[in-house]
Amino acid sequence: MEAITLLKWTFDTVLGLGLLWLAWRALTSTDLFQAIILFVSFGLLMTLAWVRLDAPDIALAEAAIGAGLTGALLLSTLARLQTAEVENTLPQSVQPSSKPQLVHWLLIIIIPLLLAGLGYAILDLPPYFEGLSGAVAANLDASGANNPVTAVLLNFRGYDTMLEIIVLLMALLGAWSLGGMPPYTDKPAGAVLDTFSRFLVPVFILVGAYLLWIGTSAPGGAFQAGSVLGAAAVLLILSDWRLRPTFIQRTLKLALISGSSAFITIGLLTTLYEGQLLAYPATYAGILILFLESLATISIGVTLGALFLREPVKYMESQ
Amino acid sequence: MLTDIAWGVIVIMLPLTGGIICFIWPAISKTLGLITVVGTALSVTGLGWQIIESGPYHHTVGGWGAPLGIDLFADGLSLLMLIMTALVGLGVSFYSKSYFKPQEATWFWPIWLILLGALNALFLSADIFNLYVILELIGLAAVALTALTGHIAALNSAMRYLLAMLLGSLAYLLGVALLYHDVGSVDIATLAEKIKPNATVWAALGFMSAGLALKSALFPLNFWLPPAHANAPAPVSALLSALVVKASFYILLRLWSEIFGSFGEGAAALLGLLGAAAILWGSLQALCQTRVKLLIAYSTVAQVGYLFLAFPLALGSNGMVWGIVAYLALSHALAKSAMFLVAGNLLRFSGHDRISGLEGTVQRLPLTVSAFALAGISIIGLPPSSGFIGKWLLIEVAVTQGRWDLAAIMIIGGLLAAAYVFKVLGQTFSDAKVSHDTGTVPASMEWAALLLAIGAILFGFIAPEILSLAHIDVSPSTNGITP
Repeated sequence: MEAITLLKWTFDTVLGLGLLWLAWRALTSTDLFQAIILFVSFGLLMTLAWVRLDAPDIALAEAAIGAGLTGALLLSTLARLQTAEVENTLPQSVQPSSKPQLVHWLLIIIIPLLLAGLGYAILDLPPYFEGLSGAVAANLDASGANNPVTAVLLNFRGYDTMLEIIVLLMALLGAWSLGGMPPYTDKPAGAVLDTFSRFLVPVFILVGAYLLWIGTSAPGGAFQAGSVLGAAAVLLILSDWRLRPTFIQRTLKLALISGSSAFITIGLLTTLYEGQLLAYPATYAGILILFLESLATISIGVTLGALFLREPVKYMESQ
Repeated sequence: MLTDIAWGVIVIMLPLTGGIICFIWPAISKTLGLITVVGTALSVTGLGWQIIESGPYHHTVGGWGAPLGIDLFADGLSLLMLIMTALVGLGVSFYSKSYFKPQEATWFWPIWLILLGALNALFLSADIFNLYVILELIGLAAVALTALTGHIAALNSAMRYLLAMLLGSLAYLLGVALLYHDVGSVDIATLAEKIKPNATVWAALGFMSAGLALKSALFPLNFWLPPAHANAPAPVSALLSALVVKASFYILLRLWSEIFGSFGEGAAALLGLLGAAAILWGSLQALCQTRVKLLIAYSTVAQVGYLFLAFPLALGSNGMVWGIVAYLALSHALAKSAMFLVAGNLLRFSGHDRISGLEGTVQRLPLTVSAFALAGISIIGLPPSSGFIGKWLLIEVAVTQGRWDLAAIMIIGGLLAAAYVFKVLGQTFSDAKVSHDTGTVPASMEWAALLLAIGAILFGFIAPEILSLAHIDVSPSTNGITP
């Protein structure tokens, strides 16, 4: 037993130090490409950290969104920064050496103090903590889901999830209102990428569906499944796959809002019939959760993919 | 019959739905947007009636009840904030109808309606994690609106705004995590009941207050506000200064009046000190500006300072000061949104907003200049405006507690405000040497600004009613936990 404990301690120490080192390297790197790769590696190590903390749901989301999609977004932004002929418009605040030294020294003093205070507060926390897990377990049967995380996200705190999905839509609105992604160099995808993506996308869809389905009883669910779908969409877009205009006009937008509108519709119906916002009738709770999760998965996946698009923006603004 | 309707749910869901429909159907967004905003204002009236008739509003989302589920809660303070949002929202929406080019309108309406829903959700929330989610929604919407014109200056300030908002949210979230771990609940009423000061709670207090102060642009964390508010389109600046800044302040107010108030004396004194510094610094900066929008933006920094004076005064005033501050926030929202709309009119009229180039504007845009004058009266705090009543009451509280220093700073702030308001007004009355009008201003844009400014004055006449409204059950802790 001793050896295993020692091994775990060593692993955790290496993991923690590795996280700090990667974060520092990513922040100080002057080469943007290198910084992005370091950031993605940071995300992957972070996934391991979540696994070590017994939070597989968060680990899945971190791997898919934190490391995968964010990395892809950053890389594709970098690719466009290098092709676009924009002058250097870095704001004054991020240009080095123009800042007064005073702020620098203040930060050097304040941040360690903050860290020390936070460290003390965390050490002061009770070692064993139940929180609301007792209440969640007691009501799990009535919630319509066997996985406590899903029960919290879709039932006990479904209102938060509704707002989160609208946050995602808002992020897309913000990105699109700036004109969306700059145009791609219309280079056809190479044969390897083309064949590979044709083979991979169905697998991604299958994995997404599995994660969604398993989410009611094991780690998984709409956010994880949606980000896998999003990854499939990004792969398709990057390998020169284009949307038909008619699809953009109707289907794409409906897919984008499917999650939020499902939540709003069910919210209003339950307010009308049950008297409470998002209070599912006990007998239908399971099926309603699956329904909401399915539509949320679609809209999460499509929203993440749509961040890489430009065509819908032109279409919307020409209306 | 009408009192049975869940108005609290409607004021959140209606604008969210409207925003989503505007997104899929941009062609009707202007009409639908206006209908939604009017409908939301009517629902706020319904909710207000419900609260006056039968006390604080309470709704258990999902039927679980706190601490397992999320509760919606509205007392007089929340109602005051909802009224503020509804009134400013109406004014800005009618203004925006003629302001935006079709391409910008495509994005403005869905984002603004979702922002409206999020603001209403914030003022109705009784759950600190739910508040975090809403803060994210508000922050993203505010940043997207700031960047709407796509100009490089707007993009730069929007980026800075985004980073400041994210930092603020993360600090707040850290505090939420600490409080949850210490008390085992994220429901405000439960927290208020069970909290005991210890290292964790102190750390939570620090991180949450710092994060929210950053979001409310409390001096010296106000670096992001002037560029963001000055470079955004005028109606957006009005929304940001009048409503978005108040949203994070409202959370701070709730946290202190319910949770931290009983033991956070030292921290409250610090917040008050920074508020006093903000009044002086913001007013002096406003006085030095050469552009109208920047002047108004710095004035917001100063006026937010007044709100923060409530924290050191709260302990000795039985919570009465929270009502006064909410009233002052409402008054500032009306006056400040009117001012930014005026700035938009001036910009539309002469193509720039340099103060030195405003000569003779009064003959060409009498309504707009009157709006600025009326809003200015309230910002300065001259009778009979609502700004006067709010500041007068705050000074009175300070004097009865022997805080002459705070009272003096409030008076100096008023004098400085008079100086910067007259700096603009004086210029508009001086003779025009050259005619420099390049555009015409639609009547709806002039009237929207004027009506908001008149509102700021009129609220001074109904101050007793509004203040008694603010005191409908200050504490949500009287609510039982529903099964």
